Amino acid sequence: MMTAVTKKTVLIVLRHSPYGSGLAKAALDTALASAAFEQSFDLLFMGDGVLQLHPGQDSRVKGFKNLGRQLASLPLYEINHVYVETQALARYNIDVSKSPVHIQQLNGSEIRQLMTCYDHLMGF
Amino acid sequence: MLCTNAFDEEGFLYNLTDWSPDVAAQIAASENLQLSSAHWEVIDLLRAYYLAYDSAPAMRALVKYCALHLGPEKGKSIYLMSLFPGSPAKLSSKISGLPKPDNCL
Amino acid sequence: MILHTLNAAPSSSAFADCLKTIAEGDAVLLMGDGVYAAIAQTEASRVLEATKATLYVLADDAMTAGVLNVSAAVSSIDIAGFVALTETFPRQQAWY
Repeated sequence: MMTAVTKKTVLIVLRHSPYGSGLAKAALDTALASAAFEQSFDLLFMGDGVLQLHPGQDSRVKGFKNLGRQLASLPLYEINHVYVETQALARYNIDVSKSPVHIQQLNGSEIRQLMTCYDHLMGF
Repeated sequence: MLCTNAFDEEGFLYNLTDWSPDVAAQIAASENLQLSSAHWEVIDLLRAYYLAYDSAPAMRALVKYCALHLGPEKGKSIYLMSLFPGSPAKLSSKISGLPKPDNCL
Repeated sequence: MILHTLNAAPSSSAFADCLKTIAEGDAVLLMGDGVYAAIAQTEASRVLEATKATLYVLADDAMTAGVLNVSAAVSSIDIAGFVALTETFPRQQAWY
């Protein structure tokens, strides 16, 4: 018998810098794993999370994976909805206009609205 | 010919820099595969993917990347299955000298 | 409606980011270092009250931190109360 699978919508909220802890990597792994199960979670970068989008990252000297480059592969996993807090971008003077991922900028109240659109929120 | 200690227990290369076309053939042979030009097309693409994204693709991303760069006929899991039987993303990454895809679920 | 679990001190970016997204009708549970935002007569407890969200503090965490003068606007709950909150609010965001 066929059972209908109801898809829950999930927003991953990324609030930490890329290399300061393992949280950014854990969030990316969660996003990519969701895609493997055809779930395609959406992403919101807010606060220090926008530092993950800082261009020109080169983590080879540290022996880490380059998180900025890994994020660039998101469209290949059909993760197409990526949102970012406008004020946080301004705080760090980050320009995402050349980002390989299409990014939608949101202000504080829009972020609140966005969060209420999802069944579940996952904070990293 | 690389020594066995250059590989992990699953046959993935420890060092990306140890890779060469000969090593690819060696890994392929250990998987009972003879590499054709069709295989090489995908191997070259995987190495480009790794340079661009600092990660090995899971199946979904590999299929889409092949579709983008080799055309829709080759951007299909059935095509990749025919070249790299079993688990195409894992096997093709192994032959291309990339680390095991860590989101290979 | 969102249940916010706030596990970071009032000077943290987690606290600031959380504040941006709280709306009336939400619930905020202060836990871990978040309990310091429950201290009566502080800037942190005042800004939380101004959000018109319902405020809770995890009793054991407040006791551990020595936060006894909890603001009157903040209700003290235990783990069972936390679980009950998660049943009321399926949408939950962790700030830490």
